[in-house]
Amino acid sequence: MELTDRELYTVLHGLVLGTLFLLAFAGGLAGLWSLGERLVTPEGVVERTRRLLIGTWVMAIVAWLTVLTGTFIAYPWYRAAPPEAVDTTDPSQLAEYPRYLLLAQEKTAQWHEFGMEWKEHVAWIAPMLATAVAFAVAYYGVQLIRRGEIRRAALVFFTLAFLAAGIAGLFGAFITKAAPVA
Amino acid sequence: MTAPAETKPNGPVAAAFLAAGVGSLVLGLFVVLNEMSEDINQFLRFDENYGLGSGVGPLSGKVTLGVIAYFVSWIVLHVALRGREVNFRNAFVASLVLVGLGFALTFPPIFMLFAPAE
Repeated sequence: MELTDRELYTVLHGLVLGTLFLLAFAGGLAGLWSLGERLVTPEGVVERTRRLLIGTWVMAIVAWLTVLTGTFIAYPWYRAAPPEAVDTTDPSQLAEYPRYLLLAQEKTAQWHEFGMEWKEHVAWIAPMLATAVAFAVAYYGVQLIRRGEIRRAALVFFTLAFLAAGIAGLFGAFITKAAPVA
Repeated sequence: MTAPAETKPNGPVAAAFLAAGVGSLVLGLFVVLNEMSEDINQFLRFDENYGLGSGVGPLSGKVTLGVIAYFVSWIVLHVALRGREVNFRNAFVASLVLVGLGFALTFPPIFMLFAPAE
């Protein structure tokens, strides 16, 4: 039972950061949703705002870390081109070249042409949206409870950030299963 | 417009939301431009052209320019809107439209429409 350096890294990129992102999203969403004046005491507002601040900034930072490490470390492994001597139509020769392995077979080509092509781009929208939300929470602090329109907008952006990251994460998991970076 | 009692003006938050929309749209535009033109595809290879990463290809340029657009537009909008109470509904709708366009332009069936026929 062992993991290569690349497998270990993909676990860190997808599983560890992905799990942190999910946790931060769940906490942030619950915090934003329940931050209503009728629902919280003044002491509760201070405590909840602190938690919301942590949740939203963790989500934003994790989102940036995930796209940066994914794009500049894992992606080059994925798209590495085989030497000329390798037959790019023969899947048995392409285990170390995931992009070419997927494209070599009709049944897997769409994982690259649709899945990876979407994932590699849409993921970058998540940190921008999550950072805007974290900024709004930091800027207003406990005053956010009196700014319902901004809280609702933050909920929408937060959910869109999760959607973008979710698309990327889901395709990442499927693509890694079809053609692991090893 | 005036802010609700004892709260700060909403201009800086509107700026942050709009900037996220601008960054998303610029990212989407470069995804499309990359498909449209071989020259732009070569220009976007920031890994080869500027040493930004290794083996990333044109994705390095697309995401770098999207992120630069995000931060630059945020700074500009922040300076323009700080201390101001704006119509947040309008700013948010504009942000959503920009983000929606960004999402759409990164969707392969849409951006591949701009690729030259083989």
